[in-house]
Amino acid sequence: MFGQLFWKECVQTAKSLIYWLIVIILILDFSTQLGNTNIKKMPERGQESYGTRVSNDRAFIMKRTLENLILEYERGSYTTYPIGFYKSVTLNEKEEARIGEILKEAAGVSEKELKEQKSMSDADIDIGPAADLTYEKFEELMDEADDILGGGSSYAADYRLANAQEEMTYEEAVEEYQFLVEKDRLSGGYARLFSDYMVIALGFIPVFLAVTRCMRDRRAKMQELIYCRRAPAWMIIVSRYLSILIMLIIPVFLLSMPLLIECVQFAKGIDITVDILAFVKYILGWLLPTIMVSSAVGMLLTELTDTALAVLIQGIWWFVSIFSAGIMRIQGGLYGWNLMPRHNTEFNYTGFQDGFSQLASNRIFYASLAVLILALTVFVYGQKRKGRFQIRGKIMADRKDKSKA
Amino acid sequence: MSEVIKIRGLSQYYGKKQALKDLNLTIEIGMFGLLGRNGAGKTTLMRVLAALLPKSEGDVSVCGRRIEYAQEIRKITGYLPQDFSMYPNITVYEAMDYLGVLSGLSKSVRRQRIPELLERVNLKGEQRKKVKALSGGMKRRLGIAQAILHNPKVLIVDEPTAGLDPEERVRFRNLLCEIAEDRIVILSTHIVGDIEAACEKIAVLDEGKIIYNGSTEGLIEMAEGKVYTAEISKKELDLLKQKYLVTSMMTMGNNVTARFIAEKAPFASAKLCEAGVEDAYMYLMHEKRGEI
Repeated sequence: MFGQLFWKECVQTAKSLIYWLIVIILILDFSTQLGNTNIKKMPERGQESYGTRVSNDRAFIMKRTLENLILEYERGSYTTYPIGFYKSVTLNEKEEARIGEILKEAAGVSEKELKEQKSMSDADIDIGPAADLTYEKFEELMDEADDILGGGSSYAADYRLANAQEEMTYEEAVEEYQFLVEKDRLSGGYARLFSDYMVIALGFIPVFLAVTRCMRDRRAKMQELIYCRRAPAWMIIVSRYLSILIMLIIPVFLLSMPLLIECVQFAKGIDITVDILAFVKYILGWLLPTIMVSSAVGMLLTELTDTALAVLIQGIWWFVSIFSAGIMRIQGGLYGWNLMPRHNTEFNYTGFQDGFSQLASNRIFYASLAVLILALTVFVYGQKRKGRFQIRGKIMADRKDKSKA
Repeated sequence: MSEVIKIRGLSQYYGKKQALKDLNLTIEIGMFGLLGRNGAGKTTLMRVLAALLPKSEGDVSVCGRRIEYAQEIRKITGYLPQDFSMYPNITVYEAMDYLGVLSGLSKSVRRQRIPELLERVNLKGEQRKKVKALSGGMKRRLGIAQAILHNPKVLIVDEPTAGLDPEERVRFRNLLCEIAEDRIVILSTHIVGDIEAACEKIAVLDEGKIIYNGSTEGLIEMAEGKVYTAEISKKELDLLKQKYLVTSMMTMGNNVTARFIAEKAPFASAKLCEAGVEDAYMYLMHEKRGEI
């Protein structure tokens, strides 16, 4: 019975317009972000650039950050991304004066020297941290500057590290490449990059499929017809949920094929053994928990309220997750508890290794959370079948009462 | 196991509002009509019997199974809701097949039973048609087919004939009568003609209470000797309406032939006539309110 119901749900999903819209969005997402991905070749000595990396050198981080601050101080205009969107901040006299004080303290310069730096052209600015400035004090001052600017500036904890990008050496680039072909067997790195791009769409899109599936019963006035059937609540909900997961995973698998084929073709004739199952592992391990949560939230809130509220809630969650990742987290290694863990490079294997246990905990947590939400959905659905939890009915009745009043 | 529905002391509340008041009913195999005006509590009673609404008070058992065991009740009841509809973009066969799976029917049973039922409700030629392309009457017949798909012992049908044309209504009633030969069919309606044509036993609900429970003939008997017709002028009609309960009238030129209810012979030209279910129902409803 379960298998037949699951199959029927898959067929229903395949016939729905929203599903094909989602597939188109995924194809567009893939083709715009990864469509022209070329498999990287071994770096050659003497090439123009070997890429950049974030410096661990605290003195370098402090110098670059202070240079950036004086540049913006000189312009009298500061760029921030408070909730992920660009904002140009102009401070009042008092705030501007405090930024000047922060600069003087951090750089160990006098008022006169600061004015000299301010009058220089951008390229001539040369300012470094004060000799006695500790990194902790630097962090404290930059946090204050970020607060004055309203958050999301280049001086915020996550972002100031990004100021210290430096060119990689040939040796460093070769080492990164060796990790890619030996440890990641080429496809592992590209599967992570693929997951990084796809997880953004999959953190939000599944909620639409879940909401429309649950709303379809109400719109077609099929709720009571289904409620009075013999099939238990768990079977109805779980079959729907699994069909959503499977129908979303199928296009994701298909979209990973071009990259896998590229990896395999690239490895032909070279001594690289591509991990054929890398994309499968990353899709199931990295992307599936995110799809599970987004779909489960969609189902629970729709069953609970009989409205599309889940789209709003999941949208907010998605928005916060996207922008809480920060520039540093995008490069991988710092996965935290973000619903959409990022790793926006085929390299940084060491970062992946270092953050692996955190990533695994993150993914297990979200998969478990999804199962819990699903169990709640089954409970809510079971209660609705018995005439309880008719929240929408109550809301509508309240509205009618108010309009009568 | 007894093939009977027993309702004892059933009360139902929506917040502070009492929708059903201490109902006592026994329903046996055959067509049972539930009559009452809109808002009388018919749909509430039907939903309780279909285990779609938890009862507030009282005891209800369906063919020996207590109503609290919803899963057991679902196995033996078929339900056609008042505003029956299905996913519009699937075919008639697909809709039946989907509901068949939800009813726990195996593939082989569904393959055999769905065409049989569609033939029985005269929809065999429409099985590849999309649900949204069906007429109102066809949809109701599909509704019956889905409700008896798992061969339930009890069929609960809520206001099935509302909006149907006369021909479809007759066809639908006949279909219900056939189905009721070997099971309990509860037909809820506010259309008296449906009850008259199809039900032997009825209950009349008014404001959540049962004001009549018995045979259709018994109901008619209550109005026997109280139904009159008279040909009067249009001017006299208003006066007649003020004094008596007029159940029907037919205008012919300046005259009106009125059918009305009176406890005693009202005037010389009024002729006593045979009461029908509609007359009896009107008499009952107004008598209970002290309006006669």
